[in-house]
Amino acid sequence: MAKKNSGVDRRGFLAGIAAGGAGAAAASVAPAAVAAATETQPAATPVVPGAALPGPRLVAQETGNPAAEIDRWHVHNAGSDYMVDCLKHVGYDYITCMPGSTFRGLQESITNYGGNSKPELLSCVHEEISSGIAMGYAQMAGKPMAIIVHNTVGLQHASMNIYNAYAARVPMLILVGNIADGATRRPGVEWYHTATDVAAIVRGFIKYDSAPMSLQSFGEEVMKANSLATTPLMGPALVMVDADLAEMPNDQKQLPLPKYVPVRPPVADPAALADVAKLLVNAQFPIIVADRCARTANGMTLLVQLAEALEIPVVDYGNRMNFPTNHHLNGSFDRTLLGKADVVLGLELTDLFGLVGDVPDFPVRSTVMRIKPTTTVISINALYLQGSGNYQDQQRFFNPTMPIAGDSEASLPYLLDAVNRAMTSERRAQNPARAAAFVDSFSKRRVADLTLASTSWDASPITVGRWVAEIYNQIKNDDFSLVSGTFYQGQYPNRLWDLDKYHHISSDGGAFGVGEGLPSAIGAAIAARDQGRYSVNFNGDGDFMVAPGSLWTASHHKIPLLTVVHNNRAWHQETMHLQRMASRRERGPEKARTGTLITDPNIDYAKFAQSMGVYGEGPISQPDQLAPAIARALKVVKSGLPAVIDIVSQPR
Amino acid sequence: MNIATRFVSGALVLTAALLLAAHGASAQGTPAAPAAAATAPPGDVARGKGDFMSYGCYECHGTVGQGNFGAGARIAPNPPPWATVSSYVRRPRGDMPSFSLKILSDATLADIYAYLKSIPAGKPGSQIPLLNSTTMTPK
Repeated sequence: MAKKNSGVDRRGFLAGIAAGGAGAAAASVAPAAVAAATETQPAATPVVPGAALPGPRLVAQETGNPAAEIDRWHVHNAGSDYMVDCLKHVGYDYITCMPGSTFRGLQESITNYGGNSKPELLSCVHEEISSGIAMGYAQMAGKPMAIIVHNTVGLQHASMNIYNAYAARVPMLILVGNIADGATRRPGVEWYHTATDVAAIVRGFIKYDSAPMSLQSFGEEVMKANSLATTPLMGPALVMVDADLAEMPNDQKQLPLPKYVPVRPPVADPAALADVAKLLVNAQFPIIVADRCARTANGMTLLVQLAEALEIPVVDYGNRMNFPTNHHLNGSFDRTLLGKADVVLGLELTDLFGLVGDVPDFPVRSTVMRIKPTTTVISINALYLQGSGNYQDQQRFFNPTMPIAGDSEASLPYLLDAVNRAMTSERRAQNPARAAAFVDSFSKRRVADLTLASTSWDASPITVGRWVAEIYNQIKNDDFSLVSGTFYQGQYPNRLWDLDKYHHISSDGGAFGVGEGLPSAIGAAIAARDQGRYSVNFNGDGDFMVAPGSLWTASHHKIPLLTVVHNNRAWHQETMHLQRMASRRERGPEKARTGTLITDPNIDYAKFAQSMGVYGEGPISQPDQLAPAIARALKVVKSGLPAVIDIVSQPR
Repeated sequence: MNIATRFVSGALVLTAALLLAAHGASAQGTPAAPAAAATAPPGDVARGKGDFMSYGCYECHGTVGQGNFGAGARIAPNPPPWATVSSYVRRPRGDMPSFSLKILSDATLADIYAYLKSIPAGKPGSQIPLLNSTTMTPK
């Protein structure tokens, strides 16, 4: 941006403050430095060590130039007002924020100029919470949230959940306050909070970054960042907010907003999809495996239509709500399917190798394959479009029979059409028998799952099967959203709950960075609240303690979210890892839990929640105490507020 | 992500299918386990309960051996036969780590087995009304 010298120079203003207000400090300022600081403001009041800061009226009287000097103290039509217009133009409803001086101009514009609405500031007590909330929100809302952070210290805090969002293929707009021009920075803090390469610490796990130096460029870069972030392969994108740009006046009063049109997602090659259709139709035992496939409710609908057209099972990894849990073709927990398959269609599989092979955890690491050598593997995946790769989140390379670049959901209508055209009357005639077989296997599997859930029903610590069932019993007639993963709960909800709406589950934790669960759940619950639902979150105690201040945001902004603390008083995954190491080395598995337990003292999560204004129940260690506690907590949640239940649970 | 197996990392993971396979068979690439006695030696239930916790069996199988998906298999109530358990613990074939004689004596294992056998059977799922609302016949 071309710096304006219109008598409202921000740094001149700051220099004036330093000269007039910080008397003791000014007394030690070298004359040359004073001259340098004042050379761009010839009309400035001379430096008088120890003098009080003159008010605008006194300045006007003493200089004889009232208009210029009064303007020296004020800014109208601030550049950050235009920045807010840009955010509104793209359609951001929220922006998470832990305050930081490098973006004070934009923060003030959001509230006073923008009316604190679309976007609305969401107050956070840690930038990792800011990015975690944005990650969860995007999954449920189907559109990104913006976050704004200090550069350096704030972006460092935010980075872990930015990485989680990147690994989960979730869009996010990261705005980073920075003071690009070293000549205008105040000594001290502003230098610590500025970097010359703004995005350096996160560049390996974002899709795009930009450091615009004019308002026009800022607007264009926000549109570009939003376009890239929301185009599969989705991910976070970063735009610098230069403090001078934000705090100085916008001298282009008619600066237009750049045109913004959402990008249409990449569709796989139609010829390739026609080949896929023929393979699926002609296969003896084809299966579909879906990971980060359904981006919208329509994605789930299309996948159901495809499966029903062929009467073939779908294995849903659970990172997206790909397939109804109560559908007879849901084969997510049938471990025999892969071995029987002659054609496997993988949709947005981040870990294609992990589907077909494994490297078991033994001292000698060796590769084993799970599929038959003759199995045809098809992979439709936007991962093939990824442009960078320091981080290894793409998992091990496996070359399928047919690798096809493209977004799976966008490609499904064309694949479905190709399948319908390829289906013969003979093939359609097979469908009723296929359906009957899958209905039978589904029912048998649910009986087995119920049997395991009922085992040790009255045990204390409470079994996971018991407390998950107790919760479902009280929410099953409501339209709710489960906003957490369920792996550490044995995936009981995916096995035994009837989840058949896209918004029933929003659960992608990305890179398994601990500390994602609570803020991400709150973000998803914000979107669910706006859609008229309350949410339920299963949260491990270890994850909970990484960013417990998230609860304050939920309380402050009145988010209807029931958080169940799965309290096994350990980082239990690591407990098992350490036990494995000790057993492997034949030395003392009974001592290996040192450093992995969260005991002595036990943490009282209910009191923790209460300290932040959140309703808290527990610790609950007896199963007969569960139902009334859940009822009380749900009553609070249905009134529009958060609640926490601390359940002393079996480890898994 | 291989969700079926990636996170199974812990202690006495006695998967049911592998238990059957391990009975009288050797793990791939490992010598066959010594022949195990058909019946368990006498064990002390109280001591076995303590050992079940201290040796970390509970970490995967739960404190009452109930098991869960993605962790250890259910091994109580009604644990597998002693011959199967005593053989499998030394030379497991699944994801479970091996517990050698050096760190887990036969006597301690017998105590643990006595504890598992002492765990009473609870109500069957069919008699738990709260579980009866789940859809059993899918769309």
